[in-house]
Amino acid sequence: MTSLLLALGMLFDPGDDASAALARRLQKLRAEVSRSVVAIEVERETDPDGRGTRGPVAAHEDYYNRPKGPTSGVIYEADGFILTSYFNISGGLKKDGIRVTLADGKEHVAELLGFDEARDIALLKIGATGLPVLPKADFSKLAQGLFVALVGRSPDKEIPTINLGILSAMNRMERAAVQTDAEMNYGNAGGALVTLSGELVGVACNIKPKTPWGQSGGVGFACKVAEIDAVLPRLKNKEHIVAAKKPFLGIRPGEGNPEVEGLQVSEVIKDSPADKAGMKKDDVLTELDGKKLTDFESLKDVLAEKKVGDEIVIKAKRKAGKKYDDKEFKLKLAGAPDQP
Amino acid sequence: MNIAIALSFLALQGDDEFQKVLELEAKVRACCEKVRPAYVFFGNGSGVCISADGWVLTNFHVSGDKNGQAVRMTGGARFTADVVGYDPHGDIALCRIKNAKDLPFLELGDSDLVRVGQHVIAMGNPFLLGNGSWEPTMTFGIVSALHRYMDNPGYFDAIQTDAQINPGNSGGPLITLDGKVVGINGRIDIKRFMNRVNTGIGYAIPSRQIQRYMRKFKEGGEVKEGYIDGIRIGECGDARYEKVGEYGDGVFVAGITPDTPGAKAGFANGDIIFEIEGYRIHNANRFHGVVSNWPQGETVKVRVRRGVAEVDLSAFLGNPAKVKPKELGASPLDLGFSPSADFDDLGVEIEKVEKGGAAEKAGLKVGDVIKKLDGRRVKNWDEFRDTVKSRKTGDTLKLTVLRDGEETEIPIKIPARKSDE
Repeated sequence: MTSLLLALGMLFDPGDDASAALARRLQKLRAEVSRSVVAIEVERETDPDGRGTRGPVAAHEDYYNRPKGPTSGVIYEADGFILTSYFNISGGLKKDGIRVTLADGKEHVAELLGFDEARDIALLKIGATGLPVLPKADFSKLAQGLFVALVGRSPDKEIPTINLGILSAMNRMERAAVQTDAEMNYGNAGGALVTLSGELVGVACNIKPKTPWGQSGGVGFACKVAEIDAVLPRLKNKEHIVAAKKPFLGIRPGEGNPEVEGLQVSEVIKDSPADKAGMKKDDVLTELDGKKLTDFESLKDVLAEKKVGDEIVIKAKRKAGKKYDDKEFKLKLAGAPDQP
Repeated sequence: MNIAIALSFLALQGDDEFQKVLELEAKVRACCEKVRPAYVFFGNGSGVCISADGWVLTNFHVSGDKNGQAVRMTGGARFTADVVGYDPHGDIALCRIKNAKDLPFLELGDSDLVRVGQHVIAMGNPFLLGNGSWEPTMTFGIVSALHRYMDNPGYFDAIQTDAQINPGNSGGPLITLDGKVVGINGRIDIKRFMNRVNTGIGYAIPSRQIQRYMRKFKEGGEVKEGYIDGIRIGECGDARYEKVGEYGDGVFVAGITPDTPGAKAGFANGDIIFEIEGYRIHNANRFHGVVSNWPQGETVKVRVRRGVAEVDLSAFLGNPAKVKPKELGASPLDLGFSPSADFDDLGVEIEKVEKGGAAEKAGLKVGDVIKKLDGRRVKNWDEFRDTVKSRKTGDTLKLTVLRDGEETEIPIKIPARKSDE
């Protein structure tokens, strides 16, 4: 997508200036939108979030560590409310450890009000009023394939950046975010994803060392404006919304049993709720609380409606000679264990 | 100052050139909308439906050769897919969705018409982000280069694109803005070892190559890519071979093994191969790349420079002497009908009968169900195919066919292999 300007230059005649028109639009967008985009610098005592932990990835700590330098944020309300990616301000902060630099170069110490881990957003407050706020895009008018631009303020606090992309998908992260191929990295995460007419689609988020997509891989996310609005009162109320642990059964799916419809178990994880209830390898799970199970996805669908601690009943078939015995398991859902 | 007002001013500003940007944006959006329904969520990768009756293309490294795989289409509709034909080295598999009817599909475009700089969309499921919502990811970019050559797996004539392709995109389509599939994405160059994230370099297998393999894929089983057996080639301009042209001229024939298809084609030592089937051959990689565009068993036109003369040759790809007899057997598709995908192990239902083919001449009709072959029950196309492949051309098969509730016997003669003529 960074090559769009170049590509347009190739597609249109030299006399045809669509490429120049797009360049002019991006310049204007950068100038206008960046008035509402701030740079955020954070001083930390500890930083448990700033390191990748996913298997072999841990071998490349230099790459996966949180890089130095500012990140970005978006002025969300004129009275000094600033939104950013939660990852940008996570970790053990020093006293007055968050500093926000506005477009005019003025630096403010910011207070962390609230955050939402799952949506990866955080609300900061600075002592300023009359700040410029971006108009919000109407989500119902957005669609896959529309051009979007990501405006950030890093690595240089004075010089905003703009990256062009499209809306890659409309509903990601449990419908909280849109996905874009505008290149996103640790610097412009927290920045403003806008349409070509400068309307705020969302706040760039979910680029962190623990995600497999890395930086600038063409997979980035922005928490939707409507999602932000929905939790804004709670964030203003200094709520720390911690991601709820997903309910966990403790089985791995098999390839399916041609004789019985249902979810075939290929492995039961030791000491998991499934193990404790007596589930065994090759059991075919057919029902969960009356809802039919056909494959792993259907189990995930049903579990999505459950909470950790819920008691559930699973019906299953277990092979006994040539026949299948009916089995019933009563168990209590546990929280998913932390990723290694 | 109110920035909202400033921005709407910016949006409304009359700018004729900017209209063209908006037109392009509208085109990309419309293309996404058009192609989205034909996407197939295939295991840890992607696939694309290319016919209403459920033919699906993906990468071999996504599908393997296993039948009965659970797949979904955009929106979450569930299907079962069989892998019919596959090229493990060329990393393409043709699959068939069972009980498919009126599925949304995309046409294959002509990858030879694709130009460097042209806009393309990659549709896929990077990092399996679409699992659950069953909404595929679209990424937008340009064609960065054509005819890229790589081995293992063999992306020997690949389209290079900067539309971001990541793990999970494999098997998904590369699409031109008119909504046609010009390639199957399957390979990326990565930043670092063990860090599989796009760097702006992705590769797609071109649609033309896939189309040339399609007949063999539909026939089923493993398909191998072509090579000219029995000739040794050298790179022009190589210091080891003096006076054989300049690098970029073509490749020259450095040795010929007698009694091979290469020798029979009439190559001579010192020939400079400069064109195959209309494609310029610049160097050894391009030679392998072009030849691999056809499966073994096909014949290609080769132009060579011999002294001052230009000579046209026909080269058979592969070497029957090196192929197991089973792979040389009759081709079930040469019988002139195609099976329906709705088989429930009750026989082979005939979905289409080719005009003028052996099946039509023998009196087979659409809707017939082949129950037995030479008196032995055939459950499905796989069984039928394997039995026919073990027979020779010219043999007569005795089919027991269920039509209107009655079983009748229909003899059918296996015609000569079309591909070997």
